[in-house]
Amino acid sequence: MAYKWGMAVDLDKCTGCEACVAACHAENNIPTVGAQQAARGRAMHWIRVERYYEGDFPDVRVKFRPVLCQQCDNAPCEAVCPTYAAHKNEDGLNAQVYNRCIGTRYCANACTYNVRFFNFFNPEWPKPLHLQLNPDVSIREVGVMEKCTFCVQRIKAAKIAARAEERGMVDGALQPACAQACPTSALIFGDLNDPNSRVARLSRSTRGSKLLEDLGAEPKITYLDKQPWHEADTYQARG
Amino acid sequence: MDRTTSKPIADDLIRPLFQTSIWFYAIVLATGTVVACGAAAWGYQIWNGIGVSGKRWPTFWALYLTNFVFWIGISHAGTLISAILRLVNAGWRRPVTRCAEVITVFALSIGAMFPIIHLGRPWLAFWMFPYPSDREIWPNFRSPLAWDFFAINTYLTGSLLFLLLPMIPDFALVRDRSTGLRRRIYGALALGWRGTTKEWNRLESAMQIMAIAILPVAVSVHTIVSFDFSMANVPMWHSTIFGPYFVAGAIFSGIAALILAMAALRKTLGLEKYLLPLHFDNLGKLLLLMAILWGYFVFNERLTVWYGNEPHEMAVFWATQRGAYAPLYWTMVVCNFVVPLAILSNPYTRTITGTAIASFGVVIGMWLERFLIVVPSLTHKQLPYSWGTYQATPVELTIMAATFAGMILLYTLFAKFVPIISIWELKAGLPSRLDPAALAEAALLATRLDTEEFSPDSSSTQGEHR
Amino acid sequence: MRAVYGLYNDPHVAQQAVENLRAAGVADADITVISSEPFDHFEFGHRDAKTAMPWVAVAAGAAGLGLTYYLLGAGQRAWPLVTSGMPIVPMWPNLIIIFEMTMLSAILATVIYLFVSAGLPSRGGRMYDPEVSDGYILVGVENPADAARLEPALAIAGGRVKRIS
Repeated sequence: MAYKWGMAVDLDKCTGCEACVAACHAENNIPTVGAQQAARGRAMHWIRVERYYEGDFPDVRVKFRPVLCQQCDNAPCEAVCPTYAAHKNEDGLNAQVYNRCIGTRYCANACTYNVRFFNFFNPEWPKPLHLQLNPDVSIREVGVMEKCTFCVQRIKAAKIAARAEERGMVDGALQPACAQACPTSALIFGDLNDPNSRVARLSRSTRGSKLLEDLGAEPKITYLDKQPWHEADTYQARG
Repeated sequence: MDRTTSKPIADDLIRPLFQTSIWFYAIVLATGTVVACGAAAWGYQIWNGIGVSGKRWPTFWALYLTNFVFWIGISHAGTLISAILRLVNAGWRRPVTRCAEVITVFALSIGAMFPIIHLGRPWLAFWMFPYPSDREIWPNFRSPLAWDFFAINTYLTGSLLFLLLPMIPDFALVRDRSTGLRRRIYGALALGWRGTTKEWNRLESAMQIMAIAILPVAVSVHTIVSFDFSMANVPMWHSTIFGPYFVAGAIFSGIAALILAMAALRKTLGLEKYLLPLHFDNLGKLLLLMAILWGYFVFNERLTVWYGNEPHEMAVFWATQRGAYAPLYWTMVVCNFVVPLAILSNPYTRTITGTAIASFGVVIGMWLERFLIVVPSLTHKQLPYSWGTYQATPVELTIMAATFAGMILLYTLFAKFVPIISIWELKAGLPSRLDPAALAEAALLATRLDTEEFSPDSSSTQGEHR
Repeated sequence: MRAVYGLYNDPHVAQQAVENLRAAGVADADITVISSEPFDHFEFGHRDAKTAMPWVAVAAGAAGLGLTYYLLGAGQRAWPLVTSGMPIVPMWPNLIIIFEMTMLSAILATVIYLFVSAGLPSRGGRMYDPEVSDGYILVGVENPADAARLEPALAIAGGRVKRIS
């Protein structure tokens, strides 16, 4: 049976430490754009930790929410790409084909979660940082859109190994970089088509909800939270 | 009788081709310099990456898309004037058609450059074209950008032909009046046109068919450009009103651009006898109508949003109405609605100067409207953490300035090498072609208009200049 | 090329000249009227008005419609990629592109038919007088059988007759 990769994010366990962000950068050869470009809004964090403040001092509460590509089943970003650079692959992942991208950036506008990032310049890794690059992941040039792939290079490697050893995939053995780095195991990754996998069970949890669910994009990431929070609350918080 | 009326007309309208004033060189030099700066800025952008523009996360579309929509909108001038007025047989259109069609072709060409300018990898823009490639993949026809490609190319081809076909008899006229190299060039352009009744009948049949065909294409083009926005689930983009709203706005800005072009031509080429206050009055009335229609669409859209009070949309609503974009928003309302209604609803102020002032305001207001559609929505999408800002950079502003200069440059060059008023169409509408009763009325009208005066009670007889 | 023709100031006089030529036995297809503007309100102006051009435009539009419909479907099925859950061959987006290509086909066919049926571009060597550009209307016969007989028919008040031998 085909795989359907999904994730559960336990907001009750997330401490906002952003180890997932750092790990993602390292694994996927994401360039750091520098302080000046980051101030200009060009930073590319495939996974980001959103921080919302509620209440007034001294009763301030901080809420963290890691947001990454939701790998939507009904992704708004796919149909608008004129060159088929964004499409759904057989594992249900929202694939981004760097070679086909001509940089219209329509997909980034259509994405309701703003999880797509653009290479505004050619990325640079001043020596000796180039030694840190992951050989399994291609470098994107200027003008190409990129986003979280659920570490598709790890998925492919695990599938190849499983086929070579003539066995199925073991739930929990395959983890994207963010899930691997999380100190509280707040990110749980797995196959939603396997009803016994941890992520499938968590996606059925009563604590679970999807981000911007009523927009109909059918995201595959379930957010677990004792107290569900609505975007309208965050509008108030933001003022 | 014919020769005494038609030869001076032809003389007047061909004179710019044979005489060049210092102003021509001055305008070409000034605008050419700005265009060259724009080309340099674009080259700089291709070399260094699109990051030299002001775009960022989450504002991935900004000035270039604004200008794209703006110029495609301006291009609807020609269609309205030429096609619709031709189909309803409004005689006053005759001196105006080529001015309008030229705006269409050049505005479309300029607008069609922006989808390439805004690309991250513009050297691969040809992938939008459905050619059988060895990658064995075709463009994604589900994407509104693919629709844009087909629509804009169809409209550009149609408008270009719509402009070029009636130019053939005028090229023949210039051919007959010139000598040497000029004669050979215009002779080649005239394609051996003589003016037999068969040629005239075929030409007029073709123009009639193309006028009917180009109208739905024009409506579809700006509707498809609006689909670039309405197909995305972005607050205040995902609105069903965008199709008609954009088309109305396009015709609105197109008429304004046409009035400005005609006012400029009148002064620079001495066409006071051909571009009459009557034309500006009629176009001014159309502009007034479009201003009211624009206000109607904006009211519709904003009332629906405000009444629905949906949080995502209200964030964008307040950002434009009271927030960071409020100064631009209210300037737009004044330029697009208040000023045109004030100037154009009063016949005493609906003069050439009045309509030109109103049109200038409309051009600014419509540019602001495009900006306020693109940027505030992108800076206020559904997740508040991803709200952002936008600031234009010198590269973007230079390229934008170059497009305006380029339009003026192209128009000036065109008026130098082609008669800007369609001579044969003007002659065909002269009073001497009519029966005696219409002749008498036309003579009366001509004396009134010759004095360039205009009183409200004569408005009922205007517009009949056949 | 031999020719005999008259140049007239006034379309009414030109109409009279055409009638005279007809009375002199010249066939309608041999009478050529050349002017620098169309004279739709006069009989000589709409002699050649009947044309198949609208049908050509409609037929070309239909051909464009069918061809685009086929090509779109073939291209989309050649690389079936799922985007946003839409069908591989989606009807509504395809309709938009089919509409544009239909109109483009109609427009191009109209222009091509115009050139073919009007005989443009032509390499010249046919009856013409540059005075037409000054507003005169030329009424004449190319390669006439008996030019001398036709000259009085054309020599009416307000016109000048010329002969090319």
